[in-house]
Amino acid sequence: MRLRIKYTKTGPAAYLGHLEMLRLWQRAIRRAGLPLMMSHGFNPHPQLAFGPALAVGIVSQGEYLDMDLATALAPDEVKQRLQAELPAGLELLLVAAISDQAPALTAVIDTAAYRVSWLQPLDAATLQPKADALLARPVIEVSRAGKAGVRVKDIRPGLWRITVNADASLELLLECSSRGAVRPEEVLDAMGLDAPRSITRTGLFIRRGDALLAPEDYQDSPGQV
Amino acid sequence: MRNKSIHSIDADNLLRQVNKPARYLGTEWNAIHKDWEDNPARMAFIYPDLYEIGMSHLGLAILYGAVNETPGMLMERAFAPGPDLEALLRGKGWPLFSLESRRPLAAFDVLGFTLQYEMSYTTILNILALAGIPLLAEERGPQYPLVIGGGPGVANPEPVAPFFDAFLLGDGEEALPELLALVGELKKEGTIGDRRQVLRAIAGRHGFYVPALYQVTYHSDGTVAAVEPRQEGVPERVVKRVLPDLDAAYFPTRPIVPFLEVIHDRIMLEVMRGCTHGCRFCQAGAIYRPVRERDLEVLLRQAAELVRHTGHEEISLTSLSTADYSRVEELARRLAVAYAGQGVSISLPSLRVDAFSVRLAEAVQRVRKSTLTFAPEAGTQRLRDVINKGVSEDDIMTAAGEAFQAGWQAIKLYFMLGLPTEGEEDLLGIAALARRILEQGRRLAPGKKPTVTVSVSSFVPKPWTAFQWEPQDRVEVIRDKQRLLRSHLKGPGLRFSWHEAEVSFIEAVLARGDRRLGPAIMAAWRQGARLEGWSEHFRYDYWAAAFRETGLDPAFYANRERAEDEVFPWDHLDFGVSKTFLQAERRRARDGQVTADCRSGRCSGCGVCPGLGVEPVLKRQEA
Repeated sequence: MRLRIKYTKTGPAAYLGHLEMLRLWQRAIRRAGLPLMMSHGFNPHPQLAFGPALAVGIVSQGEYLDMDLATALAPDEVKQRLQAELPAGLELLLVAAISDQAPALTAVIDTAAYRVSWLQPLDAATLQPKADALLARPVIEVSRAGKAGVRVKDIRPGLWRITVNADASLELLLECSSRGAVRPEEVLDAMGLDAPRSITRTGLFIRRGDALLAPEDYQDSPGQV
Repeated sequence: MRNKSIHSIDADNLLRQVNKPARYLGTEWNAIHKDWEDNPARMAFIYPDLYEIGMSHLGLAILYGAVNETPGMLMERAFAPGPDLEALLRGKGWPLFSLESRRPLAAFDVLGFTLQYEMSYTTILNILALAGIPLLAEERGPQYPLVIGGGPGVANPEPVAPFFDAFLLGDGEEALPELLALVGELKKEGTIGDRRQVLRAIAGRHGFYVPALYQVTYHSDGTVAAVEPRQEGVPERVVKRVLPDLDAAYFPTRPIVPFLEVIHDRIMLEVMRGCTHGCRFCQAGAIYRPVRERDLEVLLRQAAELVRHTGHEEISLTSLSTADYSRVEELARRLAVAYAGQGVSISLPSLRVDAFSVRLAEAVQRVRKSTLTFAPEAGTQRLRDVINKGVSEDDIMTAAGEAFQAGWQAIKLYFMLGLPTEGEEDLLGIAALARRILEQGRRLAPGKKPTVTVSVSSFVPKPWTAFQWEPQDRVEVIRDKQRLLRSHLKGPGLRFSWHEAEVSFIEAVLARGDRRLGPAIMAAWRQGARLEGWSEHFRYDYWAAAFRETGLDPAFYANRERAEDEVFPWDHLDFGVSKTFLQAERRRARDGQVTADCRSGRCSGCGVCPGLGVEPVLKRQEA
């Protein structure tokens, strides 16, 4: 059976990278005695599928993981047993059975929401014009250092919304899909903001027009919508 | 202020800026966060290297559990910070902190360093400095923690004696909680502020060596004349602690599960302690005597708990020579059967050079690891007999043959260069052996491309071994020998790697050094030496400058043959092995005579059993 898991990644857990998370979940699942499915083949690997990558150091209020179990168990029981084996900062928000045919998280999730809070006071009034100016630009080129050297990318098509809150914190709605992802730091750099901050991913979504669907509510294959 | 933890905002600030922040979180599964106020005897265990190395150390897991499961005391962990964190701490003027409560190290009552290898000594000083603690024991007032050391380095702790208040010789499972209980009592009594009285109290405890209470005198030629207690009531010889029965000993079944991939990222099931082979160069084989096996049923129980509490995917059967464990086949088979369904595999860290070991590895390892490693140590039978390696050419060829037939295509061979009596034919013997193995591999695995890697370390004479009198080859000689070997190990399928000769030279200086080396270690650290186990951090210049500055001749320690009756800087310590036995072993080595494994029932008379009141514990199948 396939389970979709939604969890937080906060506090010390925010500093764990993808490989560390993979090891951690496998071991927590083994401690919980859950019958995780292994792939068949020469080098069996666990049937765990994570949602879009999250940069090390960014807190998240809602990450996703799909897990295949060899035998059916009540989602509530899985939640209880697994939560007891997870280290600080990883809290299970939801464990739900989904269709074995449900498309992969990375195939459907296309949007990430972030909140940026400042570690020193900033004036909200100065931020709104910066946000407006950025959104008015037809092209926002940023350079990314990758394995093949530095390449330039236009992040404007993936920059969907910037909201300035009264307390000067920002809400960003950015593309986060298999086609590409805009990083919150890139948006802040483009706005000329370099003050110390903490960034939280507040949600991952599937965008349908103006509506944002939660991955736990959306299990159909794209063709069915 | 000293008791305050580094504010969490500050820690976040650091964590955001460093490489691999998962090293410093302290919230790994099974990490223990005991209440500071409720546990008045507080110790930080410090592994003087990076987290990935330190968290692979079984000793840390054992002592962490043993102390934290005892009421009234707590143990937290600290490691050498990565260079990036060190720079941040120095820049901000913040002290190095423990992982669990993120308190400055100076807030603890006891700081315990494990001395695993000589090249970590400068890192110990760096950690003390980062913690804002005076390096020299005599300069530390009672407001500072007691700094203690344990591990194999205490076989001769004299070079670092000036930095330590006390050393613990031998097994720590019982001794360390005892020390912390004493610290707790002294705190309660209010006498902890009298450092001299505290040291006197520790010096009276079995296994504890307080270097400041011993006077070292020297002959005019620089050799040690005597090491004697300065006061009444301080033991003339400090005898190591030994747990007579490992089944009754504490063993942690909830070890910390690191987030980061560490060097040994698996369950370490200690099947026995000690080794019976008696290789004449091997210090571990001497100082961990006698051999003590754990009962099969005890091991199976511990394995079950370890799997349940860690979720690890691999169980490693650890010891100095696991294939020797009396019921190793049965243990490996039963574990493999019990855990295959949970995706947990069994591994053997060290293989003996024989067909039995290869078949054992083949039986337990479902996924064929790429390389199989053996340690013949020397290239000719003559030299293998000198070092009492007890391995014949036949053993080596058969083991390698089994490995190729079982599907391994890469064989790695460890050798030591510069062993006593070594000549050119011994070096050429290494190359010849590697070639024969490669040819055999090509014959047994047609169509495949077998490789043979020869990895050569340089012999470092160690205290408590039959070779403790021997000189180390000079650096130029080691280099010449490495060049000779390299020229004979060229060609398809052959690979050659070697150790930096200057590192081995410094190891040799420190391994058999005396207290006068303390200032040189300090000078090398001031020059910038730290994390010297990593080749990218080791620089011989630092040491050359340090020896110049302190007027010490490193060759006196590394390259000098000792007189038969020379007093050694460690002669006042007692690991059970008698000097007379080692002298006899040295003579037998010179004569090419082998000495039987004590597992055979023939006692070699090393002195450990009568001297320490113990005996070998073998858990053979009951008839």
